Amino acid sequence: MTQTEQFVNQLPNDIGGLPADRVVQTDNVLEPWEKRCHALADVLDFHKILSTEEKRRGVESLGSDLVAKLTYYERWIVAFANILFQKQVLYPDELAKKMKEVAARYSVNPTP
Amino acid sequence: MAYASRFLKLGWSKTNPMPTYDPHDSYHHHDPLAHPPAPDAAPPGYYEIMETAIRELLVEKKLIGPGEIRRQIEVLDSRTPALGVKVVARAWFDAAFRSRLLANGRVACEEFGISFYDDTELIVLENTEKVHNLIVCTLCSCYPRPVLGLPPDWYKAKPYRARAIKEPRAVLAEFGTIIPDDVEIRVSDSTSVVRYLVLPRRPEGTEAFTEEQLAALVTRDAMIGVVPVILETGSPL
Repeated sequence: MTQTEQFVNQLPNDIGGLPADRVVQTDNVLEPWEKRCHALADVLDFHKILSTEEKRRGVESLGSDLVAKLTYYERWIVAFANILFQKQVLYPDELAKKMKEVAARYSVNPTP
Repeated sequence: MAYASRFLKLGWSKTNPMPTYDPHDSYHHHDPLAHPPAPDAAPPGYYEIMETAIRELLVEKKLIGPGEIRRQIEVLDSRTPALGVKVVARAWFDAAFRSRLLANGRVACEEFGISFYDDTELIVLENTEKVHNLIVCTLCSCYPRPVLGLPPDWYKAKPYRARAIKEPRAVLAEFGTIIPDDVEIRVSDSTSVVRYLVLPRRPEGTEAFTEEQLAALVTRDAMIGVVPVILETGSPL
């Protein structure tokens, strides 16, 4: 199978059966924002705004390059943004504006 | 990808760069879920800012309630493998419950007092002398969260997802689990709506155990199927 045929047959998330490294039994504790991100996914699902499967496909559509570079919950939040734009629930300019506003709240205090 | 590109273009790529931290801007505490930053704490990263911004916009648009995320965090915090442990111990102790659990995992768990906060079905897979079950989510990280909480990192990582369905015996060996060749290994691949839980085999020598003593033997990994439940020799029980 050529490389493009391989891509067509197996999308980036579909890794079942591929060769991979040994399992390393890692675990970690979520950061507060990661837990909020997880709760947001559940709440969006409850309200039928964005389902678990849409989220999974949203992560997949980020493409393997970006998926490889982002952490687990970074992928989720970027996928949420893209899907909410797609559904016209949010608009890119309003998110950009809100992010600027949020960042401003956390300004570093000037050293005395 | 089209939306990702548009997002980057209209967001803050060239004309509208990523928000910067202005040291002269005073701190306004608008986010009910965030604590005020400690004086020397690192400012939140780009993706955390994105999370806060999306959540606040959704609340402003009244698409989600202001307290909903907080309440769901409490639900998530209340879900740990301790719940699954109780389900397994009850199933070992009470044959009628075990039958109901195997017939419909969700209904039996709900009857047992474990609510399902999502639209998922739960299928409980019983390990026997002849069959050993293993659960995985090859596509992402679907997991029986209402009864086990959030999955461990290794469950979400590529090696386990890729290899569990192809070479389960090799994967199990990496957890120190050797399954005899005459025991069939069944790997169940979870989906966004169908989740699995392994009902491990009750160890021999526990016939006189109370339900509580049984529960003390059960582990999260046994309910994923990567290890058996064992009765340690010299166990105080």
